[in-house]
Amino acid sequence: MGQLTPDMILVLIMIALAIFLFIVEWVRVDVVAILMMVALPLLHLVTPKEAFVGLSSNAVVSIIAVIIIGAGLDKTGMINKLVKPVLMVAGTSTSRIIVAISVTVAFISSFMQNIGAAALFLPAIQRISKMQKIPLSRLLMPVGFSAILGGTITLVGCSPLILLNDLLLPFNLKPFGLFDVTPIGLALMASGIACFILLGRFILPQGECQGTEDNEAFCTIDGLAANEEEVNSHYELTTSDDFMDYRDPVHVDDLRRRYLVNVLALTEPPDFKTLSPAPETEIRAGVDLVVCGRKQDVERMALAEEMVLKETIDCYSSEFDTSTSGTVEAVVSPRSQFAGLTLAEIRIQDRFRVTPLEIHRQEETYRAEIDSIALQTGDVIRFYGTWKRLESLHREGGLLFSMPSDLEDMRPEKALWAGGWLVLSLVMIMGFDIQLSVALMTGALGMVITRVISIDEAYQSVDWRTIFLLAGLIPLGIATQKTGTAEWIAGSILCIIGDVSPIVLLTVIGILSTMFTLVISNVGATVLLVPLVVNMAIAAGTDPRMAALVVGLATSNSFMLPTHQVNALYMGPGRYRTVDFIKAGSLVSVVFLVVMIAMISLIYGI
Amino acid sequence: MSIVTISRGSSSMGKAVAEKVAATLGYQVLSRDLLLNASDKFHVSQQSLLQALHDAPGLKDRYKNTKQIYIAYVRATLLEMVAGDNVVYHGLAGHLLLKGLDHVLKIRIIGNLENRVMRKMREDGIARHEAQSLILADDAQRKKWTRQIYGVDPADNTLYDMVICIDKLSVDDAAQFICGAANSTAFQSTEACLRKARDLSLACNVKAALVTEFPEVGITCEYGNMLLYATEKIAHNGKFKKILDSLKQDTPGIFNLEVHAGVPVPLDAV
Repeated sequence: MGQLTPDMILVLIMIALAIFLFIVEWVRVDVVAILMMVALPLLHLVTPKEAFVGLSSNAVVSIIAVIIIGAGLDKTGMINKLVKPVLMVAGTSTSRIIVAISVTVAFISSFMQNIGAAALFLPAIQRISKMQKIPLSRLLMPVGFSAILGGTITLVGCSPLILLNDLLLPFNLKPFGLFDVTPIGLALMASGIACFILLGRFILPQGECQGTEDNEAFCTIDGLAANEEEVNSHYELTTSDDFMDYRDPVHVDDLRRRYLVNVLALTEPPDFKTLSPAPETEIRAGVDLVVCGRKQDVERMALAEEMVLKETIDCYSSEFDTSTSGTVEAVVSPRSQFAGLTLAEIRIQDRFRVTPLEIHRQEETYRAEIDSIALQTGDVIRFYGTWKRLESLHREGGLLFSMPSDLEDMRPEKALWAGGWLVLSLVMIMGFDIQLSVALMTGALGMVITRVISIDEAYQSVDWRTIFLLAGLIPLGIATQKTGTAEWIAGSILCIIGDVSPIVLLTVIGILSTMFTLVISNVGATVLLVPLVVNMAIAAGTDPRMAALVVGLATSNSFMLPTHQVNALYMGPGRYRTVDFIKAGSLVSVVFLVVMIAMISLIYGI
Repeated sequence: MSIVTISRGSSSMGKAVAEKVAATLGYQVLSRDLLLNASDKFHVSQQSLLQALHDAPGLKDRYKNTKQIYIAYVRATLLEMVAGDNVVYHGLAGHLLLKGLDHVLKIRIIGNLENRVMRKMREDGIARHEAQSLILADDAQRKKWTRQIYGVDPADNTLYDMVICIDKLSVDDAAQFICGAANSTAFQSTEACLRKARDLSLACNVKAALVTEFPEVGITCEYGNMLLYATEKIAHNGKFKKILDSLKQDTPGIFNLEVHAGVPVPLDAV
């Protein structure tokens, strides 16, 4: 083991600082990464060029391209179309539901961001939970874990795996192919789901069934849809000519408060048709209005306010055409700027002119005074509005639109193009051995050229936090390697554990990676650990590629704490406590490590 | 068509005035029958209810919330009894128990101590010093009660629509003033007032059903849409949910019932 140099001590201090800031979260993780990007060249630990090399790295470009491809697929509504058939296949048995949704989510997650796949199914799972009277806590965790495990199925499934080949470059090691990890990822996913199917009753919180009267009507998927339709049906009414003569002024907000009926459209004198009128808008005599709510509430309102309930949408038929306006569900994402704020504080109606209809949280549906409810991660908000306005709300970020196929600029006609560009990218990677970033960027560019997604939409879809997190930590990896710090740490660890067999070494690396990923981001853990374990493997005479692969995979082994974004998203709706994650996550993590080492050993003959 | 509450100190001729007003307007008089009804409905002794309405909360009450529980029972009963309108109530704290209703005419009758003492001596056949100390003790207790339960001073005139000093006026004169006010437009019950009374009655009934186990839950009701404000812990409590389920099924007039956790309780919540 060599001597510690001042540069190595400085690198160790920077690593300790990064880990400390990741844990305490005084600043956001991407800001920590940028801090590293700036501090390392200032300390002469890397050259300025090396400090920013991450921004042009294969990994960063690949991630940008994967995000754009995912957004393109999303725009065509292809992914959403999977939801309904999957729910039909799932049937009524808890196990089948878990398997069907988990496999689908894992599959989607293998090509797009895990969090997107997890958010997509959240509203559907909530409905199934109500319909089948299965506690939400028994469904969400298996699906969430599958979304994370799905990221290990392909080399573009999660950031650590995308990053892996770049981190191998300085060691002149052969890069991994797109599907090299697939058998391992599939085995990991299958074992994860099996854990819940076989041992779910012991490791999952049992929760309570929400068997209310309303839910009892939900006996089939069609029944559920019918009931939801009834709750959110549109009705057109006309106020009487003497509506304002003998009563206090009635405003849009009054109708919502009194009858839980939302006014979606209102004629204002002389004959302006307003969609999603403001809450303070006064309802005049002899005007038409379209409302959304339960039939009995609308009838109650019509009777009490002496309005005439029409049989069909008459005056507003064009405005309520599905090509103009509609209803969407949006999930409050982790790290959303809206979390902790009420709809009134966000001024959703003022700013976006959309009408919030209801909020779903855990098994509850809130329809009254929803403006004063502080939003939480995982809340599902149902909005009505024109597609244009909903799209502008979507662009604001912070909300994951789970049914964007309803949005105006959904391009289902581009589905073939989108699928074609994805396949082309895959063929380029597999058939022609073209570099991952180039192949994926070709697919992303193709999507832009064929107008599956506009270039502005492509830019907006990129999560810059992830990009800077990645790009900012790459120089830390370079400094660790360049100064010999990685070699020194590797040597120290090997001194402690002594001569061990490759399997034991890989297991130790797997455990180390799992521990790191629980407290710092998976990208951070990968960047720090790969140079280290490659050195360790070289020193111990083990295949260094496998050591790096273990890190790439095991940094997805983030189940024991709700620190992973997907776990954070599902924690609120599932009403999980940290102890629930420790209980179920510990088992899944152990199984993950065993299966991963077994599969690597089986496939690569370690 | 309205509700009249008459608040008075002991021996202030309040009862006589109330009866005269009721007779003139053709209204029903409510007083002690409130406690009787509440006692029947909630299976609590009349004595306990009377103490809850009269005596300021002691240490034991604060610990066990007994006062809050009994007041919730009395309020729920009173709101049911006044739902039919045309009522004169001259019991304890009527103006506070019916807070939130617009068509309630709130009267306070006052008189100087000397006259009240004389009246008390005549009514109860007791000595002067005994009558005086009883009246003063009673006044002090009511003041303390109102301050501790509602945080207001009963002598604050802004709590009432009309304060009548009975010293120079006869019962008939006082009744005439009150009847005149009761017949004014401001205190006529409208459809909106009656709806508000029904909503408040529903909210108070739900409060009464929950107050023993969950006294901190705040409740509002508008047009039959019930909103309960509770902590996250209470909102997910099995017993709480069970009570709400049975209330939803058994209470006519509730169209929707939601529990909002972690939301500040509005000032008008019961």
